[in-house]
Amino acid sequence: MKIQAQIAMVLNLDKCIGCHTCSVTCKNVWTTRKGVEYAWFNNVETKPGTGYPTDWENQEKWKGGWKLNKSKLSPRMGNKSEIMKNIFSNPHLPQIDDYYEPFTFNYSVLHSSAKFVTPPSARPYSMLTGLPMDKIEKGPNWEDNLGGEFEKRSKEKNFDDIDKEIYSKYENAFMMYLPRLCEHCLNPTCVAACPSGAIYKREDDGIVLIDQNRCRGWRECVSACPYKKIYFNWKTKRSEKCTFCYPKIENGEPTICSETCVGRIRYIGVMLYDAEKIKESASTENPKDLYQSHLDIFLDPNDPKIIAEAKKQGIPDNFIEAAQNSPVYKMAVEWKVAFPLHPEYRTLPMVWYTPPLSPIQEEVESGKLGFNGIIPDVDMLRIPIKYLANMFTAGDEKPVKEALVKMLAMRAFMRSKTVENNVDEKVLEGTGLTREMVEEMYRYMAIADYEDRFVIPVSHKEYAFDAFGDKAGCGFSDGEGCGSTENRLKNLFGGM
Amino acid sequence: MDIFINNLLFTYLPHIAMTLFWFGVFTRIVKTSKSLQAESSQFLSKKGQGWGSNLFHYGIILVFIGHFTGLFTPEHFYHLFMTTATKKILAVVMGSVFGLASIVGITILLIRRLKNSRIRINSTPADIFLLALLLVEIWLGLASIFISAESSVDNYAALGIWAQKVITFQPDAGSIIMDHSITYKLHIVIGLFIFMIFPYTKLMHMFVLPLAYFFRSGFQMVRRGFTKRPIQ
Repeated sequence: MKIQAQIAMVLNLDKCIGCHTCSVTCKNVWTTRKGVEYAWFNNVETKPGTGYPTDWENQEKWKGGWKLNKSKLSPRMGNKSEIMKNIFSNPHLPQIDDYYEPFTFNYSVLHSSAKFVTPPSARPYSMLTGLPMDKIEKGPNWEDNLGGEFEKRSKEKNFDDIDKEIYSKYENAFMMYLPRLCEHCLNPTCVAACPSGAIYKREDDGIVLIDQNRCRGWRECVSACPYKKIYFNWKTKRSEKCTFCYPKIENGEPTICSETCVGRIRYIGVMLYDAEKIKESASTENPKDLYQSHLDIFLDPNDPKIIAEAKKQGIPDNFIEAAQNSPVYKMAVEWKVAFPLHPEYRTLPMVWYTPPLSPIQEEVESGKLGFNGIIPDVDMLRIPIKYLANMFTAGDEKPVKEALVKMLAMRAFMRSKTVENNVDEKVLEGTGLTREMVEEMYRYMAIADYEDRFVIPVSHKEYAFDAFGDKAGCGFSDGEGCGSTENRLKNLFGGM
Repeated sequence: MDIFINNLLFTYLPHIAMTLFWFGVFTRIVKTSKSLQAESSQFLSKKGQGWGSNLFHYGIILVFIGHFTGLFTPEHFYHLFMTTATKKILAVVMGSVFGLASIVGITILLIRRLKNSRIRINSTPADIFLLALLLVEIWLGLASIFISAESSVDNYAALGIWAQKVITFQPDAGSIIMDHSITYKLHIVIGLFIFMIFPYTKLMHMFVLPLAYFFRSGFQMVRRGFTKRPIQ
């Protein structure tokens, strides 16, 4: 057994209001530089929709993630020689227009223009060329709140095996928000596909980073990542990605997206897992079993045997303690209300999602069907279970249903307790929940105090590496070395 | 051609060029190894990049291998397998095929760089100059194939002898190709010029071709852990 710790995240989609605060704060901190104007390390998509970049979930097109070839795991793009063969031109690489052409407006014209009969207008200008654009065709949240026609939006992959036509009708329409960031996978394809070996997963906290000094811009990682969360900086011509705000995490603080989330939907905690099981888990034959096999990797941080072994293997005490109080462990493993995004990509993602409840359809309200005692039948929820299952469990509806039932039961239980002052444990029958569990769930998921949401141990750099070499370094920079970008770009050799 | 100039260009210039080349390459790798990278513009526009880049790169790599083995294999060694006449035919055929591939490729890339406004605006003068220079060089190389094909076997063999005399520091190297066509000579001089500017251009990306990828064990990379290091 090789015990490792991972800083993981859960997003409670039931409470996401799609305000984009996470995206904007992330953008302001990380990607305001030239070359990554189009890049949103964190973005919020409205589902159903094709997302950003367009149709990112369609792996037949982008070849992201892993495939099983006679029960042997290899990147969907191909083995090492197939990846190297495409090094001069990667046929699976998205073009910047698959995200959107970054633009700005020449607002200064509003102040400086001469007097016209009509009011002056600010035209959009491309940030790639500086030339005016006739029309903005796309943006980072182009389908916000179901913008655009159903025909276009419904081309997304989560509608597979669903008779989607009925959802084109206004009265059947449904939507949900999906904030996305790098999944900091246990089995990342980007790392596997990087020919330069510039992408690495930190052993101490599992954060996946790109070493900007070693990235040579071969672009294979961009297409290897099935979540399309590696962004090619077209100015420096190297790849960049979400850093999980590691300078904050190392100090025991939450990422900027989590810190600023107004809905308090984000949870960060430590997960202990057995690194030796990764390959076996990712190679599970049936995609529907991948969710369970992913759960099987996690270790119980309260088990004395695990604690002893973890200490023996050098996991610091504060990481073990954090793992015991981890909100992620509670939601993912104890209550099983959180799920990985698209486990069928076989990357073992570590940013998990609680599926959203949705309004109960009219039939139930009029008492016609599906009201099973106190808890309404989850099949009656406006968002089809199959749709959520395609997103979170490779199409297996059972775990998603059970999670939704638990969340409904929690609501019913707490409602009867607080509104009617009547503790009704009958509600919990068949949900697998006890009164203690449900009250804890309520505390974490509804109240969601800061201290409960973020249990992040301060990192032990002295364990991780010999910091003497970092003396007199420039500390944290914009990822492009010491000094300003402009200065670094100018060197004797004229290169970047 | 004047004997002095001929000697200067074809006996001494190769040494000067290669000295500058290796000096530049080593300084750049030691001083600014971070700056070596592919500098791909594929992300901005994929149109034409697939055919252009693949044809050019695969073509030019095979052309390079052809030049290297063709010029530096000693006569008595290749005579074990083939006559000089056979080698010439081989060189003409292979050179035409791969030379044509690379010239088609680089033409596509140059047109793309000049015509596609998104690429043009984000290009440096060096990007365009380098493409044009390589285009001229490959063009001269292809033209010299026609001359080789029509001229005698000795005329062709002299090129190999010249190259081998140069790398073995023979003072009479230049005189071997004294009477060769100006096409060959231009091809050689521009080639040496490319070697001289090589360390200061993005051509350096070939030194970071990630061949180590094949030897990396497995697929994953994990760095730094909780393993306690002894204090030194």
